[in-house]
Amino acid sequence: MAAFVVPAMLLVIAVQFYPLIFSAYLATQEWTLTSSQSSQGFVGLDNFLKVLNNEVFQRAVRNSALITGSAVTIEMLLGTGLAYLAVGSSRVIRAVRTLLILPLVIAPVAAGTLWRMMLNSQMGLTNYLLGFLGIKGPDWLGNADWALVSVIIVDVWMTTPFVLLVALAGLSSIPDELHESAALDGASRWQSFLRIDLPLMAPLLLLTLLFRMLESLLSLDSIYTLTLGGPGYATFTMTYYIYTLGLRSFNLGLAAAASWLFMSFATLALVLVFWLQRRSQTAQ
Amino acid sequence: MVYGGGLRRVVIRGGRALALTLACLAVLVPLIYLVINSLKLQSEMYTIPPIIIPSRITFEHFELTLSNVRTVRFLTNSLTVTSIVTAVTVVVSTLAAYGLSRLGLRATWLSLIVFVFLFIRFYPRITTVIPYFLVMRQLNLLDTVWAIIAGHLGITIPFVTWLMLIVFQDLPREVEEAAEVDGAHPVQRFALVALPMAAPGVASAAILTAFLSWNEFLIASSVAKRQAQVLSIAVASFVTDRGVQWGPMAAMAVIMIVPMILFALFVQRYLVRGITLGAVKG
Repeated sequence: MAAFVVPAMLLVIAVQFYPLIFSAYLATQEWTLTSSQSSQGFVGLDNFLKVLNNEVFQRAVRNSALITGSAVTIEMLLGTGLAYLAVGSSRVIRAVRTLLILPLVIAPVAAGTLWRMMLNSQMGLTNYLLGFLGIKGPDWLGNADWALVSVIIVDVWMTTPFVLLVALAGLSSIPDELHESAALDGASRWQSFLRIDLPLMAPLLLLTLLFRMLESLLSLDSIYTLTLGGPGYATFTMTYYIYTLGLRSFNLGLAAAASWLFMSFATLALVLVFWLQRRSQTAQ
Repeated sequence: MVYGGGLRRVVIRGGRALALTLACLAVLVPLIYLVINSLKLQSEMYTIPPIIIPSRITFEHFELTLSNVRTVRFLTNSLTVTSIVTAVTVVVSTLAAYGLSRLGLRATWLSLIVFVFLFIRFYPRITTVIPYFLVMRQLNLLDTVWAIIAGHLGITIPFVTWLMLIVFQDLPREVEEAAEVDGAHPVQRFALVALPMAAPGVASAAILTAFLSWNEFLIASSVAKRQAQVLSIAVASFVTDRGVQWGPMAAMAVIMIVPMILFALFVQRYLVRGITLGAVKG
């Protein structure tokens, strides 16, 4: 049996763990690939200090927190709400569900591209449609604040279906008898939502929230094709900042240090995910 | 009272229908807009206000895109990467998950392994992308599909092993135990007893892997600059080009998206099962 595990283990060690250790080493080195083919020397924690004091990094942290915080909140509410509305087995409802999950299979780079056209302030469809409502649409991608809103819109568009799917699975696992007996006792639908569905789904929803938080923090592709981090540094997120630092300016040491700062934060969230999963499993 | 209840019901039903219709439109309209842009004449592309219904449909953007040798290479690269990654992942991960679930590991060890899987799924991938780029450079594998394939396998194998572990742990053990009593070899027990029972799970895992690999951008873009480029890089490259080229850009995005949407419609049941499995069961 142990032999079954070996190929997977070797691959994971080679492609994940080795680069991970390599990256920890890089974080302590001064090394810009464009000026030197090998490390330019050990600098201790200098890279970390440089990154922490970097204005773009600070802005990226703020942007990431803002984007992830708002996008995930909207997704959770919208996804759970839509799941409630999309319960049912009629043909129409099934078709609606199929439609609603489509954004999940669309490549994030393509979603970013598509919304870059949608949100173009002059030629895009969004402002054209807003015009019918008598609203003069903003300069979505050209204005620093609206560009952040645009990034949030795209994140919501792409991943609300994930919350919807998980919430649907959670809802369908609640036995109908519970709702029926609550209705017999005279409970309104709102009461039965608060007293039955919400407590039963709480662990699942919390887990979904953490999954979404982590994934949203890590996302890069859609920002790359939507705004390219712009205008200026307005939509630089942590991932995007590290990406440009490492693979555009080739400042390997700084990029690695920044990524480990990011990592420590993500690891905390992960430990929480893990703990929640174990707990909900032992509760079952 | 009865009348009030009836009215309330009508309002609730109407509200539900309205909300779901709006949600469907929010999904569909951008997609249709993309397809329209890919079929619009160049002269009707950049008008203010935009022309929504084109006067004539043209395939010139697709012809231009697909007649380019490079685009065809992106397409074949994407197909190569996705099929190899999917095949290898399914074989290696299914084996590993079966082995792990039947090794009789203590619960603490098993949860430690599960934590490692979760960690690999969710840690900031950018951390390893830069050293991975250096390793591939050292091995002279930069700008080859192999660098992309190995990079994808590093994500998909832990993820699928984790999914399949859930599947195998849920299977009833009795049949396998009976097979063991009858003298079946571990490979026989895996291939003839456990695997057929786990087949729907394997299908879900394969489908998820294919989507992940086809849509992946970060790893691919870090190791492939010219020859080995895949579709995701091609789509992303339009953003840095000077000037606006909406026609070819939309056509390229359509080429990347539409096969996946059709595939998703076809395998929807397995896809949904795969996506929810990890979150619901863990």
